[in-house]
Amino acid sequence: MPKGVLVDLTKCIGCRSCQVACKQWNDLPAETEYFANTWDTPIDTTDNTWTRVKYYFIQEGKEVKWRFVKRQCMHCLRPACVAVCTSGALIKTPDGPVIFDARKCTGCTYCFSACPFGMPRYTSGNWGGVVLQKCRFCFDTQGTYDRIGRGQAPACVRACPAGALLFGERDLLLKEARARIAAAPGGYVNHIYGETELGGTSWLYLADVSFHDLGFPFVSFLSGVAAAATRWTPVAAGMWFVSKYRGEAAEDVTGREGGE
Amino acid sequence: MTNHFIDYKNSDVVLVIGANPAECHPQAMKWIMRGKAARGTKLLVVDPRFTKTAAKADVYAPLRPGTDIPFLLGMMNYAIQHNLYHHDYVVNYTNASYLVDKGFKIEDGLFSGGGWKDGKFTYDTKTWQYQKDGDVIKKDPTLKDPNCVFQILKKHLSRYDIKTVCKITGTPEDLYRKVCETFCATGRPGRAGNIIYAMGITQHTYGAQNVRATAMLQLLLGNIGIAGGGVNAQRGESNVQGSTDMAMLYHLLPGYLGMVDATKHPTLKDYIEKETPKTGYWSNKPKFLIGLLKAWYGAKATKENDFCYDWLPKLDGKDHSHMAIFEMMAEGKIKGFFAWGQNPGVGGPSAAAELKAMENLEWMVVVDLFETETAAFWKRPGANAKEIKTEVFFLPAAFSYEKEGTVTNSGRWLQYRWKAVEPPGEAKSDLWIADRLFKAIRKEYRRGGEFPDPILNLNWSYDKPGSEEPDIDKVALEINGYTVADGKALASFAKLADDGSTACGCWIHCGYWAVDPDLKVVAAKRRDRTDKSGLGLYPKWSFAWPVNRRIVYNRCSCDPSGRPWDPSRILVAWDGRKWVANDVPDFGATNPQTGAQVPPEKSAAAPFIMQPEGVGRLFAAGLKDGPLPEHYEPVESPVRNIMSSQQNNPLTTRRKGDFAKVATAASPEYPYILTTHRLIEHYQSGAVTRNCPWLVELMPDMFVELSPQLAAKLGIKAGDAVVVSTTRGAIRCKACVLPTLRPLKVNGREVEIVAMPWHWGYQGLGSGSSANYLTASVGDPNANIPEYKALLCNVRKA
Repeated sequence: MPKGVLVDLTKCIGCRSCQVACKQWNDLPAETEYFANTWDTPIDTTDNTWTRVKYYFIQEGKEVKWRFVKRQCMHCLRPACVAVCTSGALIKTPDGPVIFDARKCTGCTYCFSACPFGMPRYTSGNWGGVVLQKCRFCFDTQGTYDRIGRGQAPACVRACPAGALLFGERDLLLKEARARIAAAPGGYVNHIYGETELGGTSWLYLADVSFHDLGFPFVSFLSGVAAAATRWTPVAAGMWFVSKYRGEAAEDVTGREGGE
Repeated sequence: MTNHFIDYKNSDVVLVIGANPAECHPQAMKWIMRGKAARGTKLLVVDPRFTKTAAKADVYAPLRPGTDIPFLLGMMNYAIQHNLYHHDYVVNYTNASYLVDKGFKIEDGLFSGGGWKDGKFTYDTKTWQYQKDGDVIKKDPTLKDPNCVFQILKKHLSRYDIKTVCKITGTPEDLYRKVCETFCATGRPGRAGNIIYAMGITQHTYGAQNVRATAMLQLLLGNIGIAGGGVNAQRGESNVQGSTDMAMLYHLLPGYLGMVDATKHPTLKDYIEKETPKTGYWSNKPKFLIGLLKAWYGAKATKENDFCYDWLPKLDGKDHSHMAIFEMMAEGKIKGFFAWGQNPGVGGPSAAAELKAMENLEWMVVVDLFETETAAFWKRPGANAKEIKTEVFFLPAAFSYEKEGTVTNSGRWLQYRWKAVEPPGEAKSDLWIADRLFKAIRKEYRRGGEFPDPILNLNWSYDKPGSEEPDIDKVALEINGYTVADGKALASFAKLADDGSTACGCWIHCGYWAVDPDLKVVAAKRRDRTDKSGLGLYPKWSFAWPVNRRIVYNRCSCDPSGRPWDPSRILVAWDGRKWVANDVPDFGATNPQTGAQVPPEKSAAAPFIMQPEGVGRLFAAGLKDGPLPEHYEPVESPVRNIMSSQQNNPLTTRRKGDFAKVATAASPEYPYILTTHRLIEHYQSGAVTRNCPWLVELMPDMFVELSPQLAAKLGIKAGDAVVVSTTRGAIRCKACVLPTLRPLKVNGREVEIVAMPWHWGYQGLGSGSSANYLTASVGDPNANIPEYKALLCNVRKA
C-alpha cells in the first residue's frame, strides 16, 4: 500500500526539528544564511535543503495568526516530474516515494518546470552539468539513506516533537484526517490538501486557515506537464503530449478547497 | 515543578505566563498539544510578545513586561469577587483562616515593620507573624475575622480591579476578563488549572514575589496537589533542577539545606536549634545535615567532633551571588575565577561590564566545549590584550552525549543517561575534571597550607581500577545515601538517622540509586512504561524526587475525608478503610512503625508536609520584601507606579561602579521598553549552538524585534541595521519588524516594547552583538536574580 505523511498544521509549533533531522540523516551541509525578517531561513529549498518550514503571519483584523508550514516534495500520485523526465531518472515507486537515479539524470531541469510545488533543485554533476536533488521520502534503493524501506518513519517525522507529522498508509491517513476534522468542528478547514490536488499527493495536509493563505498551489496536473513541455520544440511537445495524455485532459480536475 | 511535563495533558486549562514552551521547551509543548487534542485543554498565553506558544493559544493576552503581579493579583481578586475560589480547599488546606498579628498593615505600598538601616531599607517581620495562644496558632474557620489571612488578602486584592490592572499591564480589558473567567473556572472541584512559568516570571527585581503570586492563585483555586494542576516552573536547561538540588547556589547545601553561617551557626548545635522547625517534615533536618557530613567526611565525622561541622565552609554574611561576584571582581577583590559551563560574557547582566571586570583577574579557568566569549575576553573587540595580565586556562569538556550520569528534569525526574559517543580529542567529562582537580589540590595541601584538614580528610575515593574515568557508581551511591555499616544504598530518606549511622549526599535524591526489586536496576535507570493510573504517572520510569512522588502535595487531591475532588483523576483516595494510591502519598498514609492505615483526618490537618503549620501559605512571612506580593514598577519603567508612591521594590539589590547604571523612570532618552528572550535554534549563550552549522543556518543573525508601528515611526525597514542603546551601552543589529509586537496602552498612554534574543556574542561560527551588554545589574532581594526582562532603551537607524 502506498505510504504517506499527514501534516497537521494545527499542531506544528515551528520548531524546525524536521529541517535539522533531514540534514542530519541525509548528510546535507548547512547553507550560509543571513538575517531573514520572518525567522525562517533558509528562505527556500535548495539542493542541500530538501525540506523547510515556512512561517506565515496572517493578519485578520486586530488578530494575528502565525502558522508554520513544512514543505518538501509532495510525492505526487501522478508526478508531473516523472512524466516529463526525459532520461528515466525519476521514478514513482509503488510505495509512494518519487525517487531518482542521479546517474541517469541529464540535468535537463524539465522536472523543475513541471513541478507545481517548485521542489526540484539541482547540484553540480560530475560532467559539469547539474543533477537533480530533492526529498526522497527517506527511501533509498542504495540503502545508505533508507528509512522507509526498512520500515522506519522518515527522519523528519521521527524528530517532530509536536505530533504534527504522522507517517503511514495513505488511505489510513485520509481516514485519520477526516476523523480529526469531524472531531474538532471549527478546528480545521474542511479540506485535506493533497487528497485530490494534482491527482493526489502522498503528503497530505490539514490546516485551520485557508490553504490559499499558506501558499499551497491550486493548479492542475496537466498545467505542470504543459509548462515543462513548452520548453521543448513545439512539434515534439505537441506530439508527446497528445500521445501520452490523449483523453485525460477532460478528466483532470483542479483541486478545490471546500467547507470554509 | 509541583507536577511534571506529562501531567500537562491532564489540564483543563493551561495558563502560560512568562514562558514560551513552543520555542524554549518544545518537548513540554507536546503535552499541552496532546491535552488540547484529547480533552480540549484551553491554552491561555500571557506574554509581551505574540510568541509561537501564543500562536497556539485559545486566548492570547499581551502584558507590559514586569507587570505580572498586578495581572495575577487581579485574577485572584476576580476569583474572590465572583466566588470562584475553591472554598473548602482554601479553608482546610491553606492558612486563610489563620490570624495575623494585629499590628500588620499595608500602607502606600509598604508593609508594616519597614525602615532604613545602614542605608538599606529592611523589614522587621514581627507584625507578619501569626497570632498564637502559647504554641497554637489562632484561627477563624469562618474566614470573617478582619485579621485572618483571607480578609487581609481580600482587602489587599480589592485594589487590583480589572480597570486598575489593565491600566498598569496594558492588557486590553476584554482579553484580561477572558483570561480571568477561563482560568478561575478551574476553582471548582473536578477542574484542573495549570500555571506554567519560566524566566518571564523570575527575572525581575520582584521575581520571588511573582512566583508567590502564581502559587497563591493556585492555592485559591485548589489547583495544587492535583493531576493537571500545579505551579510548574520550566527550568532553562536540561539539568538546572539537578544543579539547584545539588546546591549550585551559594546560599544552599545539597537538598535545599540552608548554608551554614559563621555568625549565626558557629556550632552544629546552633544550626540545628535555629534552623530546625518543631513541626513539618523539615523537623528531620538534623538527619539530613548529619547524613551529608557523614557522606563528605566519612569515618572522620563522629558524634564527638560534631561530625566535622567545623570543616564546612561558612557564610560571612555577605552577598556572594552572581552580580556580587562580578562587582567584587571589578573592584579587584577576586583573584581567580572558574567559568565551568557558564558564559557570563554573553549571559550575565551588564555583560560588557562583566567582561571588563575579568581583566582584573590573575587567572581564569574555563571548562567548556568551545572557546567562549568568556574564555576569549582578553581578545574581545575593543580590548587591549597587551595590557591584560590574566592567565587563562581552557579545559575542553565532553558534551552531554559524551559522558554518563543523571539529568534531573523540571518534573524532578532523575533520569540516567548513558554515554553515546566518546568525547573528541582531549575533552573530558566534568567528573573526570573535578576528580583530577581535587586530587591536584589535595596534593598541594599535603605540602602544607592554611587549614588543610577539610581538604585532606574529605571522603574522596572514586577510583575505578583499570579506568581513566572515576567510578560514577560510587559517586551516585554517595549522593543517594547508604548505611555506614554495610555501604548499602538507602531506599528512602525516611531511613536517615542523626547518629552518624547513615550517610547521604543529597537527602531529597535518596532512593534514586536503590535497586528496584522487580526491574533489577537502580531506580534512575528504570524504563518501564506501565501506568495503571492512565494519568501518565509512570511510576517505574526513572525516579522522581522525593521518594518517587510524581505530584507533590497530593493529599490535596482529596477532600478532608479522603474523597477525591475529581474521581476521574485520582492520585490518592481513602476507601473507608485504607488508602488507595496511584502516586506515592505525600503524607503519612501508614504508620511507619506498625504499618497500620492512618485515617484521613490526620493528614487533612497538615497536607503541606514541608510547612511547619502544615498548610499552604496565602500569606508568607518568609520573603524579605513582604508577606504578600504588591505591585512595584521595574527599576527602569516608562511610567509612574499608580498603586503607591513606592516606584520600585524598596529592597531591590543594586550595585556599584559600572554595574550601578540605570535609567530614570520615564526617561525621555530611553522611551521604549526592552525585553529579552530565547529562540529555539540557539541555546543559552549560544556557546554550543552558534558553533553548529545547521543551527547557525536556521538563525544566523542577531536582531531586535520592533512593532510595525514603531518601525514606521522611526523610518526603519525590516533588515535595516539599527543601534539599540540603554544607559549601559549600545549594540548594532538587524531590525526585525513583525506583528508579534504591538504598542500597549498603559494608563492612557501608548508604550512600545522592543525585544531581543540574547544568544549572540563575538565568538563562534555565528557571531553577533550580545543583548546583555544592555541589561542592568539590579536584582531580586530574595534570590538575587537579575532583571533581564523589563528595561528601557532607545532604537535608531544605524
